Amino acid sequence: MLAGRVAVVTGAGRGIGRGVARALAAAGAKVVVNDYGVAVDGTAPASGPAYDVVAEIERAGGTAVASTDSVAEWDAAKRIVDTALERFGRLDVLVTCAGILRDRMIFNMTEEEWDAVLAVHLKGTFNCVRHACTHMRERRYGRIVTFSSGSGLFGNPGQANYGAAKAAISGLTKVAARDLGRYGITVNSICPVAGTRMTLTEQYLKSREIRKQQGIQREDRGTGEIERLDPDDIAPMVVYLASDDAANVNGQFFLCWGNAVALVSQPRPVRTLFKSDGYWTLDELDRLAPATVLQGLTNPAPPKEGS
Amino acid sequence: MAKRLEGRAAVVTGAGRGIGRAIAELLAAEGASVVVNDVGAAVDGTGASRSVADEVVDAIRSRGGRAVASYESVADFRAAERIVATAVAEFGAIDVLVNNAGILRDRMLFNMSEEEWDAVVAVHLKGTFNCTRHAAVHMRGQRRGRIISMSSTSGVFGNSGQANYGAAKDGIAGLTRVVARDLGRYGITVNAVCPAAATRMTATVPQSARDARAARGVASPGGERSARLAHMGPENVAPWVVYLATDAARHVNGQTFLVMGGMIALLDHPAPVRTIQKDGRWTPEEIALLFPRTLGMELPNPAPRREAP
Repeated sequence: MLAGRVAVVTGAGRGIGRGVARALAAAGAKVVVNDYGVAVDGTAPASGPAYDVVAEIERAGGTAVASTDSVAEWDAAKRIVDTALERFGRLDVLVTCAGILRDRMIFNMTEEEWDAVLAVHLKGTFNCVRHACTHMRERRYGRIVTFSSGSGLFGNPGQANYGAAKAAISGLTKVAARDLGRYGITVNSICPVAGTRMTLTEQYLKSREIRKQQGIQREDRGTGEIERLDPDDIAPMVVYLASDDAANVNGQFFLCWGNAVALVSQPRPVRTLFKSDGYWTLDELDRLAPATVLQGLTNPAPPKEGS
Repeated sequence: MAKRLEGRAAVVTGAGRGIGRAIAELLAAEGASVVVNDVGAAVDGTGASRSVADEVVDAIRSRGGRAVASYESVADFRAAERIVATAVAEFGAIDVLVNNAGILRDRMLFNMSEEEWDAVVAVHLKGTFNCTRHAAVHMRGQRRGRIISMSSTSGVFGNSGQANYGAAKDGIAGLTRVVARDLGRYGITVNAVCPAAATRMTATVPQSARDARAARGVASPGGERSARLAHMGPENVAPWVVYLATDAARHVNGQTFLVMGGMIALLDHPAPVRTIQKDGRWTPEEIALLFPRTLGMELPNPAPRREAP
C-alpha cells in the first residue's frame, strides 16, 4: 500500500509507535524510526530502542533508519524531518506518537510536570508537523497522523497536563487540516487505547480503583480493560490513513482499541437559548437556563460531603 | 433582588479590555470584589501599560463596586500565583476565577515561526493552567469555587491560519474537562466558554481571511463583520460567564458553551459515533475496503485538495 513512500514515526522505539513503524515498513514505506529513548517520565536519554526497531524492520526485509533527536526541540525536530529527506529523498508520511506522562491532581501539579508533558506532546507535535508541512506543501502531497487521546477529548482526572496537551493536539490537527488540505495533505488524529509501559503503571491501576470507589467518571468508552489491549492493534488504521486510499479523509478523529476503530464526533451545539433583542440578563438566565441549555447535565465529579 | 455574588472574590485575567472587562464589570455589579488583571499589552502580546487595568478599576469603583488592579502576566507561573494571592490578600478568598487573557499571532501553519507558536500557547494555555493551578489550592481549602476559562470556536471547530491559537484554545477545553474531574468533589466547578464578540483582538483577523472562511462555510472569530450582528459587543459574553459563577450553576461542571450574539449553546463532548470491529486484527487493506461504506460515509473534508494553478 505504501511502496516507494517515506515515513517518519516519532516515539517509534516502543509501544504504539513501534507497531506503527513496523506496519508502515511492512506496507512498503521507508521509515525514519525516531525515539529519544527516554523513561516514561522523560528522563535519562539512551539511544537503544530506535536502533532495535530499525533492526527488527530490516530483519523483516524492510528499510529504516534510526533517529534519536528530541521532538520537543525546534531544531532537533527539523533534523528528524531532514533525516528522511537526506536518507530517502522525500517525506510523505508523518506519524507523531512521541509522548510522556507525569500524572498529578491539578492542585499538586508542579510547573515542571506541566512543562515537560506539554513540551513533548504539544510542542513536539507542532515542531514536527511544522517542519514536515513545508516540504509536503512543495510536493503537493502528504499524510500527517497525530496522536490525541481519550484523556484530552473526554477528560481523565489527574491528567491536566496530558489532557490539555492531547486536546491541544486535536485543535492543532483541526487547524492543520484546514491550512494544508488544499495542497494535497491530509491531517488526521488517532485516540488510541492500549496497554503500554506508559499506560499500565502501578499509579494508573491504583487510581483506577480509587476512582471506582469514589464514583468519579473516567471515560473508558466501552473499550474494556486496558491491559488486554495490544498496542500493535493501532497500526492498521494509521497505515490506512497514510495510504492513497484515504486521500479525502481529512481533519478526522478515530478512537482505536483492540480490533475496533470508531469515528469520533466533533463538538456541536446541542441545546441552545436565543435572544434576538439585546443582551441577556441574569434574571432571564436564572429563569430559562435550567430547563434549556442545562437540562439533564450530570456533574462528572459531584461534591462529596466532608471530603 | 439581592446581588448574586455579594461577598465573593473574583479574579478576571485580561480584564482591561473587551470581553474580560465586560465580565469584570458585571461580576462587580453583582456584588463581587474583583481583581482586574491585565498587563496592558497590544493584541500581539507586546508592550505593557498599567493604565489599562487601572481604568477598569476606576470604572467599577465609580459605581460603588470593589476592585483592585493587577498587572502581572498570567504566562509566568510565579506571577500567576501573585495574581491569585492578590485576591486572597485584598478580599480574603478566591471564589471565582475567569481565565480570559489572550493574544493572537495568526499565520498559516507552513509559515508559522517558533516564536509565534510559543507566545500564543504561553499566554492562553500555560496562563490558564498557571492561574487555575494556584486558584485550585485555595478553592480546595475553601471547599468552593468557580473556574470559567475562555476557549474558542477556533480550537473546538478549527479555523485556518490559527494553529497556535486553535491548539491553545482546544487545549483549554481539554484542561477544563480534566480539572472539572479533579476538583468537582471539593465543591468547585470548572467550565469553558467559547465566546464570539467583536473586540480589538478579532478586529486583527483580516477581511481576506474572513472572506476565505465564509466561502468554505467556516465561521470567523468575532462573527461576520459584514453582517454586523446587533449584539456582538463584548457585553454579549459576560451574562453567561457570570451566571456560571453564581449559586444557580453549582451543578454545572466540565461543560463547554458557545456564546455569540444572543445565542447560548451547550456543546456536546466528542464521542465515538460509528464503529467497525472484527475478530482479530484488521489489515490496512480491509480497512481501506470497508471505510468508505462505514466510518467514512459522508465525511466532510474541511479543505479539499485543489489542483495547483
